[in-house]
Amino acid sequence: MEEKAIVVQDLIKEYPRVTAVDGVSFTVDKGEIFGLLGPNGAGKTTTIRILLTLIQPTSGETLIYNLNTAKNSEEVRRMCGYVPQDVSADGDLTAYENVLISSKLYGMPAKERKQRIHDVLSFLELTDRANDMVNTFSGGMMRRLEIAQALVNRPRVLFLDEPSIGLDPNARRIIWGLIKKLRDEFNTTIMMTTHDMGEADVLCDRIGIMNRGHLATLGKPAELKSAVGGDIITINSSNPNCIQKVKELGYSVISNATDGHCDLIVNNGETLIPQLLDSLKVRGVLVESVSLKKPTLDDVFLKYTGARIEEGDTFAETRRARRAFSRRS
Amino acid sequence: MRAFSAVKKYFANALIIAELELRKIRHDQTQIWVRMVQPALWLAIYGLTMSKLGVNTYIPAGLSYLQFMTPGVLAQSALFVAIFFGINVVWERDLGLLNKLLSTPASRSSIILGKAFSAGVRGIFQAIAVIVLALILRIHLIMNPLSILGVFIIIVMVSMCFACLSMAIASLVKTRERMMGFGQVMTMPLFFASSAIYPLNLMPAWIKPIAYINPLTYVVDAMRDLLATGNLHTLPVDILVIVAATVLFLVLASLGLKKMVS
Repeated sequence: MEEKAIVVQDLIKEYPRVTAVDGVSFTVDKGEIFGLLGPNGAGKTTTIRILLTLIQPTSGETLIYNLNTAKNSEEVRRMCGYVPQDVSADGDLTAYENVLISSKLYGMPAKERKQRIHDVLSFLELTDRANDMVNTFSGGMMRRLEIAQALVNRPRVLFLDEPSIGLDPNARRIIWGLIKKLRDEFNTTIMMTTHDMGEADVLCDRIGIMNRGHLATLGKPAELKSAVGGDIITINSSNPNCIQKVKELGYSVISNATDGHCDLIVNNGETLIPQLLDSLKVRGVLVESVSLKKPTLDDVFLKYTGARIEEGDTFAETRRARRAFSRRS
Repeated sequence: MRAFSAVKKYFANALIIAELELRKIRHDQTQIWVRMVQPALWLAIYGLTMSKLGVNTYIPAGLSYLQFMTPGVLAQSALFVAIFFGINVVWERDLGLLNKLLSTPASRSSIILGKAFSAGVRGIFQAIAVIVLALILRIHLIMNPLSILGVFIIIVMVSMCFACLSMAIASLVKTRERMMGFGQVMTMPLFFASSAIYPLNLMPAWIKPIAYINPLTYVVDAMRDLLATGNLHTLPVDILVIVAATVLFLVLASLGLKKMVS
């Protein structure tokens, strides 16, 4: 059997009040970009932190390049790079110093240090700002610096926790380009979490969708999208029986909201809409608006979890996301 | 041999963490200057005023009150700053810096030790301020290079000791506001239940046992031996107690750090 970059087997992490990760298993190949997708609180970050030995799992096994992360924590940390979701570059130091301290903590020999720091800063296009204080940086530059810190050690596995959270679209595209370049040029295995379907679609070779601690589904983006089965029609109606009536008409409904918001999967949505509206009118359901969508990962998520991705934020998660955003902008 | 390289790596990592902290100070020295204010006030206002009350007769070993008190102010200034050090760690946890540090190969306790050491180095600046002021006020102290070096070493140790205590408490209380409160609650008892500004034998009897288990008492004693009396008989015991307390708090803080991020 070929050696896997990451193996997660029956992973469980219980906290006193919640089970953050509840029996998750998957593997990641070398050189793969693997995405864990899901709403906040789904267990993505907990999974990453267990792999990085920051948290002890309640049960289950995690291996990185055949090393058990619970037993060989120092060796595992030595071959991994980590870019946390929160801002983690130190604003009270220069960019160069931030990378310097990282390189020292990873035990890089003094002889190679200077060259490597130079290389990694130029790879992330930060050379001209190397000696500026980080608290003057924009959110996108700060993110690039954080990636530089994680890369200076040339990790075999890079963990990115919500790499583009709080970034503007332009900065986001730059980060995406870098992640791809990193894999293509250095064959680095990359494991990332995101709740942005677009990001996962653009970057990831394979995606695992997590919800409430479970892995709902796993596959290539294209496979997952085709598994949704067709186009999605969304109907908005003030009539509370809307879903009921649509179901009676024999359509496959994938949402279970009670506010008259109804998603159904069909083939050839364009031609079906007039017919559907007529049938509903006959049954006394007044439709306020209709939209048609070709499948996206968001729909995949909806199909496997029955909820839209925006739902399920805890108070603490929302506060953290906002704070991260306000610091970056 | 393997054990030796592990120990070497442990201290090397602690030094890198300290370097990180000290580089920050280099970029912003304000905090160093601000730190000098409080001990200066204690010495120049409290010390001079108390001297006029005729307290010199109560001071043992034929010292003047200012001679007696200057080592106390040194210890106290280190305590007052170090006891709030845990706020940094809570802040770094909130920012996410701590998670990143913990994901590096450096061990938890080497991170704590490094941070404590940086607190110690900051303490040296306070020691310099107090010694310079003592010279200006013409307080007669033992000013040979060895005693000054000794004072610097002790001040680094006491800052490390209380910074570790503070980080241990920070890992329990987990918020900056509560940490401010706990810092306040701890400083005064530690300060008053020591011989920093009055001799132990004048204290109410019930407080003496507390003074004997208070690391600050031993710190003050060590400083006083070095700077005022020149009698170094109890110095080894003092150092032993400070080191033991530091190691204890270091272990507690390291264990706490684990809990802090999960």
